[in-house]
Amino acid sequence: MIESTQYDFDAIVVGSGISGGWAAKELTEKGLKVLVLERGKPLEAGTGYLGEHAPNWKLPFQGMRPRELYAEEYPVQSKVWFSFNEANRQFWNNDKQNPYAMDEGKPFLWARADVVGGRSLIWGRQTYRWSELDFKANATDGHGIPWPLEYQDIAPWYSYVEKFVGINGKKEGLPHLPDSEFQKPMPWFALEETIHARLKKKAPDITLTNGRVAILTEDLPGRSACHYCGPCQRGCSTGSYFSSQSSTLPAARATGNLTLRANSVVERLEYDSTSGKIARVHVIDTVTKERLAFSAKIFFLCASTVGSTQILMNSASEAFPNGLANSSGVLGHYMMDHTLGVSGIGVFLDNMDSYYHGNRPTGLYIPRFRNLNGQDEDADFVRGYGYQTATLRMDWQTGINTKGFGAHLKDSLRKPGPWIFALAGFTECLPRASNRMYLSEDKVDRFGIPQVVFDFEWSENEINLRKDATKHANRLLKAAGAVLTLPGDDKMSLPGEGIHEMGTARMGADPRESVLNAHNQTHDVPNLFITDGSFMTSASCVNPSLTYMAFTARACDYAVKQLAEGVL
Amino acid sequence: MNRREFLQCAAILVSGASISQLGFSLSEEQQLFLANAPDFNTGKVDYFSAAQREIVAALAETIIPRTDTPGAIDARVPVFLELMAANWLNDGERAIFMTGLQDIETRIPLEYGKPFHQLSAEEQLRILEALEDAAADSPWYDFGNVQREYISDAPFICQLKELTIWGFFTSKEGGSQVLRYDPMPMFFDGHVPLEPNESSWTQPIT
Repeated sequence: MIESTQYDFDAIVVGSGISGGWAAKELTEKGLKVLVLERGKPLEAGTGYLGEHAPNWKLPFQGMRPRELYAEEYPVQSKVWFSFNEANRQFWNNDKQNPYAMDEGKPFLWARADVVGGRSLIWGRQTYRWSELDFKANATDGHGIPWPLEYQDIAPWYSYVEKFVGINGKKEGLPHLPDSEFQKPMPWFALEETIHARLKKKAPDITLTNGRVAILTEDLPGRSACHYCGPCQRGCSTGSYFSSQSSTLPAARATGNLTLRANSVVERLEYDSTSGKIARVHVIDTVTKERLAFSAKIFFLCASTVGSTQILMNSASEAFPNGLANSSGVLGHYMMDHTLGVSGIGVFLDNMDSYYHGNRPTGLYIPRFRNLNGQDEDADFVRGYGYQTATLRMDWQTGINTKGFGAHLKDSLRKPGPWIFALAGFTECLPRASNRMYLSEDKVDRFGIPQVVFDFEWSENEINLRKDATKHANRLLKAAGAVLTLPGDDKMSLPGEGIHEMGTARMGADPRESVLNAHNQTHDVPNLFITDGSFMTSASCVNPSLTYMAFTARACDYAVKQLAEGVL
Repeated sequence: MNRREFLQCAAILVSGASISQLGFSLSEEQQLFLANAPDFNTGKVDYFSAAQREIVAALAETIIPRTDTPGAIDARVPVFLELMAANWLNDGERAIFMTGLQDIETRIPLEYGKPFHQLSAEEQLRILEALEDAAADSPWYDFGNVQREYISDAPFICQLKELTIWGFFTSKEGGSQVLRYDPMPMFFDGHVPLEPNESSWTQPIT
């Protein structure tokens, strides 16, 4: 092994979100001196969560969205309706300051954080294992290329990260949605139990289980069990939900091996054709505009799918004229995202005398039930979808357009109304070469880096999946006993709106058609690893962050062993 | 929330959390944010005329009156409405809102001999009911049309109601004395008996 003194760091990790946090933790705990580069602003865990626990009456306009500001400065991020608001706007990218090239004809929603911790602060926290069915999907139906590894290769790494992350859920023993290492599950609403009993009889083909979420129901070192205040996305000073800020970065810091540099935009990676490796990373300080370069033995790109791919594309050289590590030509292609949207809403008059205490920060989950044992005869699509559900009691917000005035109106608005149980389908997306991102030829950002352009459209398979999800949601809501069902429309979500963009530097056995090998190492450049969503060869229908974490930990283990053996 | 209330709240947080060995650690910045951020509806605004201000207060109170619990005026909804009219509504919405307000300001004294705010509660109610009847065809009233962007061309009465109801239930009085407020529930239980007269929980606006 080359002496460490020849390098600024042993390893450099680009990005401090879900994947970068894990890379930082694993590499520092294995004794490497690590530099983490984050383009966003510095943010202290806890102290930086300014909107946490702020009551509605303290929020600007008492929580009504400042539309003018959002249209002017956050036209993209403000579309992330379930998370972006005044209580956490500081976490998000300012679209005016950091734009990407928007093609009006082909909209793409690129949700971005702009702080240390990245999107791990504002994610949905749903965590599901992939299954053998998912890893075999491409090989089975011929879409995309086969994964170069199997479920059993990653299963121990799922277990490894889950114990640290802290995931609560209920064991179901489903082969197509393997159980995680669970903390005790969060309790259910009475209505959910009523619905569960009815579905068991009337829709025995489906499973209604807890949403599996990276939120503690039992204390872990330095982190408290959830206090059920509700809006996780404002940040959580008790570290009850998993974020790099609450979990991986503190662990990395504790080793004494971590250097974290915020306000650091990576412009490009420098390839050294003599050694065949990345020599250094070129950085622009977003505040001072100073240009810096850092060297290391190994480099981990964890800058998010789009961010990492942008860096590779902007790192073209004589050796790699089409983008770094892109001898295959697939870089930027085969982009995927999950379509999502309300598939059906049911109104229920059961359990009207039952109420709740605390805001449970997840709904229940209905795992995939289509095309599980080969192709369903009535399915005009391959693969499947799952439903995330939401249970809520109607209140003044859902009655804001009620007719009438006075004491009667006030009284009816203050009391709980009927129950709502809603199903939101998350559908798998096929990998297609034509769905891609690339660098603009004429638009640059404020640092002179070419802006990203998206060219992405849903295919017939996703459209048919979405229609099927709506159809079955209606069946399930009726079976569940809804007195009224409002069918979701079949409208497709905007590409990117799932915030599960992935696949632009896919993994595969054959270097001619993939960027990464089975260890998230680029085929072309041995000391370059990519462990954010860009490595994904297919999309499954479940939320991907847990899989990014498991692959990141596994890749770190491999990289450090390679270093120890002197291969790297 | 004033400083004393904040400290009470912080004490609840800390004692509530003591069941966990780790406890809470509210940062100084958070404490300052929570303790010192003024309630939104205490902001300064000077957009309505004095006469309009009296009318708006009477309109809001007609929609959400004081009963055995605080009403719109107690909850500073009239100030909220003025702040929203001045700073939040776009030009088109503001034109509809102000035209509607001016209509009440000029028409009511001609029809009733007195300005709106000096009429009896019954008369005030009848005037609002007539406005609602006239607007009944607006899609604003469509069933389920609630989770959405603000409807810019909604008639005056609809805008007035939406802003009044929002301003009331997100205010401190409406949110904590009419609704129930617990910022730190500490546990989740989905089987709590609901008494017939109990209010909903205040939900954090997201």
